[in-house]
Amino acid sequence: MGLDFVGQGAGETDGNIITTTIDKVVNWGRKNSLWPMPFGTACCAIEMMATLASKFDLSRFGSEAIRFSPRQSDLLIVSGRISIKMMPVLKRIYDQMPDPKWVISMGACASCGGVFDTYTLIQGVDQFIPVDVYIPGCPPRPEDLIDGVLQVQQKIASGASPKGVEAVYE
Amino acid sequence: MSEENQVEEQPKPLILQKLEANHADALLAHDETRGTVVVVVRKEQAYAVLEYLKTDPELAYTFLVDVTAVDNSQMESELMQFDYARFMVVYQLYSYQGQCRARVKVPVHESDLNIPSVTSLWQGANWLERETYDMFGINFEGHPDLRRILMPDDFEGHPLRKDYPLRGRGERERFNFDKQNV
Repeated sequence: MGLDFVGQGAGETDGNIITTTIDKVVNWGRKNSLWPMPFGTACCAIEMMATLASKFDLSRFGSEAIRFSPRQSDLLIVSGRISIKMMPVLKRIYDQMPDPKWVISMGACASCGGVFDTYTLIQGVDQFIPVDVYIPGCPPRPEDLIDGVLQVQQKIASGASPKGVEAVYE
Repeated sequence: MSEENQVEEQPKPLILQKLEANHADALLAHDETRGTVVVVVRKEQAYAVLEYLKTDPELAYTFLVDVTAVDNSQMESELMQFDYARFMVVYQLYSYQGQCRARVKVPVHESDLNIPSVTSLWQGANWLERETYDMFGINFEGHPDLRRILMPDDFEGHPLRKDYPLRGRGERERFNFDKQNV
């Protein structure tokens, strides 16, 4: 975290003051309290539910506060097939989320269309919304989703901008 | 019903007997597959036959299980049988009373895609017919609200037709947010 202890003498403040940067403190808070917005449209959502339930327990990583309102969340988990009729809905939900926001594309279908190479299916949501972390699998195991969330946490801790912000400034 | 009668009736199911007696001119063909009687019916009399199957007290096919269609354009053997009608509209029926199923098929030519809606017989036909319209372009006359149900409203074409390419005609690439009112 880049913490430095201040003070050497025998005063009251010895070892009780730490210095850091505001960004690091804020990011540390953000990474440990992600509020995911689940966008489950297929079997990946079943694995996502398992991840949130007691057996795999995503709350161990501080991300259990699922919100079904995009206005209260900062992590969008796209889990499942997205059709051309559903994509505007997903885009709208993404737009409604307050910055900074991160996106996980969970599973083969959300990432690239999977086996559904058909007229109606979006071949990868990253064509329309910026994606930070892709999780492979069909569907991915709950451990994979946990790993994906940890990847997002690492990204936040490193101070990197969300993909959405990069897209705006490019 | 005496035992003697039952033995006589067994070779021919009741539905076929009654249809041949009352709607013989509507019947084009009939078959039986895995215990389900399949009848092919002329389009002009399709509504009358379905109404008869539903309302006849002995048959009482009161439950409409499904309405769908088949595009036979690449099935030469099927096309030949029914005057090269491209589509076959299929009604699946179930009779709780007789505990038996029936399938009514209606050949529809591409030149005239109209067919009477059965929503006045079964309310449940509403969405089923909308889906058949969406996927095959069959026009159900008298339907209260015939518009697309699965595909987006601005979608062009009917994707379950055999001449529709599997990967579409560029809808996924041309996809435009501004056009959709969300």
